[in-house]
Amino acid sequence: MARIRKLLISNRGEIAIRVIRTCRQRGIETVAIYSEADRAAPHVRAADEAYCVGPPPSRDSYLAQEKILEVARRARVDAIHPGYGFLSENASFARACQSAGIIFIGPPASAMESMGEKTRARTAMSRAGIPVVPGSTEPLRNAKDAQLLADQIGYPVMLKAASGGGGKGMRKVDSAADFASAWRAAKGEALNAFGNDAVYLEKFLDRPRHVEIQVFADSHGGCIHLNERECSAQRRHQKVIEETPSTIVDQRMREAMGQVAVRAATAVGYVGAGTIEFLVDSQRSFYFLEMNTRLQVEHPVTEWVTGLDLVAWQIRVAEGERLPIDRPLSPRGHAVEARVYAEDPAEGFLPSPGRITYLRSPGGPFVREDSGVETGYVVPSEYDPMIAKLSAWAPTRREAIARLRSALDEYAVTGITTNIRYLAAILDHPSFLAGDYDTGLLTREHQKLLGAIDPQQEELALIASAVLAYERDARRARSMGKQSELPGISAWRLAPKRRWDRR
Amino acid sequence: MNGNGFNRATRYHAAIRGKEPSTIELEPMGEGRLVVALGDKRHEVDALRIGDRTLSILIDGRSHRLDFEELGDEWVLLLNSQEVRVDVVDERRFRLRGATAGFSTHGKQLVTAPMPGKIVHVLVRLGDQVREGQGLVVIEAMKMENELKSTKAGKVVELLAAEGSTVEKNAKLVVVE
Repeated sequence: MARIRKLLISNRGEIAIRVIRTCRQRGIETVAIYSEADRAAPHVRAADEAYCVGPPPSRDSYLAQEKILEVARRARVDAIHPGYGFLSENASFARACQSAGIIFIGPPASAMESMGEKTRARTAMSRAGIPVVPGSTEPLRNAKDAQLLADQIGYPVMLKAASGGGGKGMRKVDSAADFASAWRAAKGEALNAFGNDAVYLEKFLDRPRHVEIQVFADSHGGCIHLNERECSAQRRHQKVIEETPSTIVDQRMREAMGQVAVRAATAVGYVGAGTIEFLVDSQRSFYFLEMNTRLQVEHPVTEWVTGLDLVAWQIRVAEGERLPIDRPLSPRGHAVEARVYAEDPAEGFLPSPGRITYLRSPGGPFVREDSGVETGYVVPSEYDPMIAKLSAWAPTRREAIARLRSALDEYAVTGITTNIRYLAAILDHPSFLAGDYDTGLLTREHQKLLGAIDPQQEELALIASAVLAYERDARRARSMGKQSELPGISAWRLAPKRRWDRR
Repeated sequence: MNGNGFNRATRYHAAIRGKEPSTIELEPMGEGRLVVALGDKRHEVDALRIGDRTLSILIDGRSHRLDFEELGDEWVLLLNSQEVRVDVVDERRFRLRGATAGFSTHGKQLVTAPMPGKIVHVLVRLGDQVREGQGLVVIEAMKMENELKSTKAGKVVELLAAEGSTVEKNAKLVVVE
């Protein structure tokens, strides 16, 4: 057993802080890395040590393998946790860690390679008897070949980055006319996000649901699944709300999907935490989509219903421990998570980087916030716009949604635009409340989800803003000595400090 | 002077973005209390500012917490996670604005950077004829590529976007006429 005493997190934002918290609890020293754009980022202060690894662009910092390994060697860490995104699914980095005698918290490089290249994974999975979505099994060579295949399969089709994940480098093509622009966008994004512009093509299933199974394997041959997560609330293939259990998965289906997922993981010699993503059609048939060979953004919902700290178990498995359980756990209660993005839903979800002038976090029973930002922090334009995750647990689905909904109302962020209101509108949507939704819901209901302001709120907004303007003008008038222009200057008061002093 | 019987009232014109302005009159009653007239209704208001960003406001006894930010004449309010932008001006500015209102940019379409980012592709050349909906420039920010499209058919009369360059929000990129 290799005890891990010091660990480097090759990531930033909320996930770096998430990993650091578990390390703290386990008495493991932590090392953060940061780019020149992130000196002020909260994850730097959360860690015991922190080192700059380069300029703002990811490829020069958070993706710079050599620099990160140099820091790891110099700081004498035992292990590297890659989080999600960045180098988390990079087999060459996992190999380089191994050669440097550092434990990479993740699966063996070979398993990553089998699953990381999406086209190879599709081939491997169909060989193992696991159903896959129809499409190309090889990366497409050029736009012409690609369009030919698309014309054959029939539109709509999906273009996807072969080394992809997280909705990057992914485009739906509705007709031959849109092909060229989608091809360009998918390849450009793929190159940028993953350093590889290979894309492949899949048939687009109509109104599918996205259901995934969390798997966990140890290095002694033990492999279990930890139930499903329903991730159909997506926009542009980016998950927005996740929950567990799924409203369409009953115990029988859960067992069937779980068995397939465990078989898929075992087929590639998997170790650690991983996720098998499936598309489920209207007949509740499920197709292998891809395996994410890392911890998922949405892992907190699984933690809520299983009571397991998945990061702690990633570390323990990396240390050589056996899994604590050898059979699936029945989900306990219900959990829902919402992803908070610095973006403007009303402006086509344009990223909204900038300074957070004020932030107040929500609280309450069974509410969890995983955040990477705070008041005064400048959200940089270089990285993913997700700034925090909010999740809630309750014995029933209805109560869990209500808890998350109320927490979203409490969440106040000013200075940048966020999607918080939009998240609340999804939770209020009748189809979401009924548990009857698919991956197209957010696109179909876009206008409705942007929502109008209700008349009572309008009245409040008008009165409050006039009161604020009045106070400002009164203050200005007073400072200029024009007492007479605006009467009742004393009308305004700040929170009375003296009153508190007397207590 | 006004129809609400206020002696010392101050008048403002407030408009929620995209809506018609309303007239609001405020009369201070001391100790943070005001009587506010909006439409044909009068409200008893008690306002207390907490720090620089938060306002506690009791309107006819109903308690509201909101966070705010001042951007020029505009107040950005956050009410239960709902962002509302309200443009507020006093009587003098309201009249001043009336005189200059109504100019338009008819005929020319100015394409600006909707966010800070990097120009990854320029899809047109100066002098090109473009269709409505045709891609002009691809801008990358936060790892996502966004294609900026022409909202009208016309000719590219100015092209300031350069591939590989970094641009600030609202930077002028293309003009189509």
